[in-house]
Amino acid sequence: MINVDHLTKRYGPVTAVDGLSFEVGPGRVTGFLGPNGAGKTTTLRMLLGLAAPTSGTATINGVRYRDLPNPLRTVGAALENDCFHPGRSAAEHLRIMSTAAGISRSRATRVLDIVGLAEAGHRRVGTYSLGMRQRLTLATALLGDPGVLILDEPLNGLDPDGIRWMRDLLHQLADEGRTVLVSSHLLAETAQTVQDVVVISHGRLAAEGPVTELIQARHTDNLEDLFFDLTSDRANNRALEVHSS
Amino acid sequence: MTTIVRLTHAELRKLVASRTYLIGLALSVGLAVISVAVNAATAGHNGHAALGTAASTDKMLKLGVLCAVGMLVLGILGSGSEYKYKTIIPAMLAGPRRGTLVAAKVIGIAVAGAIFSVLTFGSGLAVTVAELSAHHFHQLPADTGTLFWGSVVTGTLFGVIGVALGYITRSTIAAVVGAVGWVLFFELAILHTLVPHMAKWLVTGAASTLTDPGVLASKALTPAAAVAVLSTYAVVLLAVASGLVLRRDVA
Repeated sequence: MINVDHLTKRYGPVTAVDGLSFEVGPGRVTGFLGPNGAGKTTTLRMLLGLAAPTSGTATINGVRYRDLPNPLRTVGAALENDCFHPGRSAAEHLRIMSTAAGISRSRATRVLDIVGLAEAGHRRVGTYSLGMRQRLTLATALLGDPGVLILDEPLNGLDPDGIRWMRDLLHQLADEGRTVLVSSHLLAETAQTVQDVVVISHGRLAAEGPVTELIQARHTDNLEDLFFDLTSDRANNRALEVHSS
Repeated sequence: MTTIVRLTHAELRKLVASRTYLIGLALSVGLAVISVAVNAATAGHNGHAALGTAASTDKMLKLGVLCAVGMLVLGILGSGSEYKYKTIIPAMLAGPRRGTLVAAKVIGIAVAGAIFSVLTFGSGLAVTVAELSAHHFHQLPADTGTLFWGSVVTGTLFGVIGVALGYITRSTIAAVVGAVGWVLFFELAILHTLVPHMAKWLVTGAASTLTDPGVLASKALTPAAAVAVLSTYAVVLLAVASGLVLRRDVA
């Protein structure tokens, strides 16, 4: 369970995240949507202890990330697809991560196999394509066999086969009872992947809930229409009025 | 296994996996061997002290600078490249308690620095002994032991200073430029010239006491005091670095 409660982040005069609250439960794939600059990545960074909130809390299973006893075994996170030393191989990268987390080396081999990088595992990451880096990012997230997965733009750089593979994998992980939060701006792909959404705009919550229910409630046809309905300037002005009152 | 042990193992694995450390070590050992061989070959010529004299052997054993420079650069690369390649993100996801993460990095680089310095000085010393033996000289200067451990301590502490600089600047280039600028411009060009009596308290002054037989013999500082001076610089820089790592968001 992911719980974000009145989370705020200010950078000087700029408020990137503004009193954001939402919950993400297990057993479902939840999309975390918002326009560029809406505060998605900042929220995920605060959730993962990489950025300090100005106020509010972000917890995983009721605990702040930095207080988790062995975080990689609880949370698998994939924030960027270029967090690798180009001179190391994928296998070396995963061995370093497994050493840091006290995870067996055989698990590193296993996750390389899961993401389809078993044959390329001994190549230097500097030679990898964007799609291969995306797979390695996911392998890193899966290393600790965690119950919670937080993935930032996991579909970027994947070809159509890769997108289908990722979608099936995310569904499988959710079916296993894991909490899966996926940030994305690829609405058409996200629509086929997620069951729930959390939509934010200008750092504030625009809507959260099952996609089908939100579409019905807002009288829209699909996730794309719902997204634009929630994040348009008109919607933001309405939200601002509610917020200030 | 405790978190600090796991993270330290991971840091040592990083050093070996990125190959920079191994290449740097090979380069340093190679330069130490070449330096000793060149000094042996030129001994007794063009005004150089004759082979077998204390002055000649001391010159051959001035290898601490290789340990210091090599480990300073490797220390900077160890922490600065975490930001360059964004590997600081997975590192902090595995070890979100940042103080522990910095401690593991420091312990890892200190271990690597000690090994680096022992092998660099040790290979230079081995070639020195071989050269002297080949010319029927069988005695090393009395301060050889002090130079050996002085070089090891200097290399280790310069590695730690490098880690601190890398964390402070979050840039390998800025850290290297800053370190070189500090040593060449601030310490050697200004302070050594303007206040020479204070030179022994500077980073280069304390390091010279531990690695340069001439400075060691001058007794400007005792070796123990020089270690204390260098350690103080390392601890102060690490305190600044840790404070910044703890407070800064990771972009």
